[in-house]
Parts: sequence; C-alpha cells; structure tokens
Amino acid sequence: MKIYTQTGDRGKTGLLSGERVAKDNARIQAYGDVDELNAVIGALAASLGTEDDRLREQLEAIQSDLMHAGAWLAATPESASRAQLHPVTDAHCRALEAAIDHLQNQLPELRSFVLPGGHPRAAWAHLARTVCRRAERWVVHLMQQPQSGGPAADDLGTIIAYINRLSDYFFVLARHLNHQAGTGDRLWRP
Amino acid sequence: MTEFTLEVAERHWLSEETFEIRFVRPPGFDYLPGQKVGFVDGAARRDYTMLGPVAAGHLSFCVRLVPGGRFSPKLAAARRGDRFAVTAPFGFFTFAPSPRQAVWVATGTGIAPFVAFVRAGVRGFDLLHGVRSPRGLYYREELARAGRRYRPCISGPLPDDYDGPSPFGGRVGDGLRAGWPPGDYDFYLCGRGEMIRDLLAIIDSRYEGAHVHTERFY
Repeated sequence: MKIYTQTGDRGKTGLLSGERVAKDNARIQAYGDVDELNAVIGALAASLGTEDDRLREQLEAIQSDLMHAGAWLAATPESASRAQLHPVTDAHCRALEAAIDHLQNQLPELRSFVLPGGHPRAAWAHLARTVCRRAERWVVHLMQQPQSGGPAADDLGTIIAYINRLSDYFFVLARHLNHQAGTGDRLWRP
Repeated sequence: MTEFTLEVAERHWLSEETFEIRFVRPPGFDYLPGQKVGFVDGAARRDYTMLGPVAAGHLSFCVRLVPGGRFSPKLAAARRGDRFAVTAPFGFFTFAPSPRQAVWVATGTGIAPFVAFVRAGVRGFDLLHGVRSPRGLYYREELARAGRRYRPCISGPLPDDYDGPSPFGGRVGDGLRAGWPPGDYDFYLCGRGEMIRDLLAIIDSRYEGAHVHTERFY
C-alpha cells in the first residue's frame, strides 16, 4: 500500500471522528505537537546505550501513552470514536511522578537556571521538554475553544496534567543524563 | 502479533474471482462490526474485514482472488479444517449513528464492512457500490432490503439480462455527484486508495460540513 494518499493535498485532513478540518485547526496543532514530541522521545531513546535498557523501556511506555493521547485529541468530544480509545488517566500521571521523584532523589539540589544542552542525550531530553510545553499550550488552547472541531468544550484536563508532568520529567531526566555522563548541570551565569 | 487461530468451516464462490470463506469463531474473539484482522504468514500480513455472522459461532470474510497474491490463493485453496493465524480484531471503521444521513460508498470487496453493519442491525443508509460488472454486486439483495437507497455504479458494459436496480455508469464519484445533492451527510468510504482520494476531493468541495470515515481496503 502506498504511503502517500494525496487526500491532504488541498490543506484539509480528517479527524478520527470523521470531521474534515483545515490542517491548521487547533486539534491538528495539538496532536501534531504530541506526534512531534513522540518523535523527539524516539530520537532520545535511540541515542541511549545498551546499559540504559530500563530508561529505554520507560521512554517506550511514555511513547505509548502519547499515542493514546494523540488518538484522543484526534476525536471530538461526544463522538462515538472515543468509546474505542484509551484515555490518559490519573494513574499515568502518578507513574510519571514516581519516575520524577526517583530521578530527582539522585540529583544535587539546583539553585540556578540551567542552560539546555550538555551531553547529546541530555540535549534531546531538553528538546523533548520544550516540545512538551508547546504541545501543552495547544491542548490548553483547544480546551478553551468550544467550536474547535467538536460540538462542545472538550475536557482535556488529564491530558494537560500528563503533559505538564512530562515536561518536568524531561527536565530532571536531562539533568540525570548530564550527571550520568559526568557533564553535570550547565548553570546559567547571567 | 498473532493472537488467534481460525479454522476453516466452509467456502463458496460469489463470482469467478471472489469467494466467501467461513471460519469457526474461536473463544474470546470479540470484535465490533467493521473491524478487521490481519492474516499472518511470517513477516507478511494481509488485512480482511469480518462480514458479520450469518450463523452463531462463525466468522466470514469476502476475498477477491489475486493470482500470485500472498494470501488469497491460499484461502481460495483452503479446505475444511485448515488453520490460519490472525491478529486480534482491530480498526476504527465502525458505524456511529448520527442525525446526518449515512452514505456508504464501496468498491469491489470493500463492501465487507457495510455487510457487517447491516448484519449488526444498521438500517436507513444510502449505499453506492462501485463494480466493473453486475457480477460484483455481492450481497445485493441483503443490502438493498436494509437500506434507504441502494445504487450500483457499474463501470463496464451492462449485460442485456441485467435486472437489478437502476445503475449509475462510470466511477463512483460520478454516481455520488449525480445521486446526492449537497447536504449534511456522514460518508463511509471503503475501497482502493485512489477511490478514497477522488471522493475526498469531491466531498471537500461539494459537501461542506460532512463527516467522513475511510477505510483503504487495498
């Protein structure tokens, strides 16, 4: 089967729930950014060494969560499509919080801003953090738009909480990867 | 990922090139009408949509024999008791009732999910079935009985003895334009990628606000 369908050549695309919308629709922006975030996480996972199998598994679990989040964002509220989907839940947020706490407990206290970068793996984690924030902004925007492709305001609070927590996760993961590589924190000295 | 093994119960030909094959439904095989499974052979996989049961405890598929194909010749030659590995059911091409008129468009064996919808009790739809000859209008009577409108779209020559519903000629896009004025519709499209591409161009320009559900069948 050919990968190119040519169905989006006129600037429109279809939501999972069937609506035809412009490709700059807030819902497309939101799940597009979630998709981009997933790709950045894939690049980070690909950069890990064989000694990081546990972290790679954790990143793959996050990628799976984001696939579910993206599908949820691609269906409008009240659509029958959502009945077939797996929503992001509080349990996913709690799992992230546990991972954050585990990483942070191994790190020295931070009293300054850090510059993104350092070891290439940490740089990928910082990039994931910033794409995460952009995805969060679009999901918030989407939630504030009652007519953004759906008949009613969309309750996306759990997805926003998850992405917010994910951004924190990538911040501490970047620090963890820099410390693991011996690079340490790159402190901002204004 | 292979999750079920299907055992052949029977097979019968619908035309010179297309047959329906029925399997024993294994325990725990739950699916929504319109979903499909992947038949697995090593690294190769070919997806087929369940037709919907005509008898309890069975699963049926409508398969077009592709000479030299990976799966259809094996299915065409299968005997009662032969076993095939398949994935768990999957897919989002399922029917969702709405206030809008449902318009289903199929080409060839892309009719399969619509048969599944009808056997699950869906009624009141419009159906446009594109085929090369009237022999390809599988399940015609069953679909016509359940639908609000049933219109074939036959691209080849019409035989003198054709006695079915009045057909459109040409491609399904021509039939859609001729038979459905601008309005509020839920379109369900199942067939080749080229058909879906062509119909989406028509829908985007002619049916503002329509919902569209698509399944590229092959």
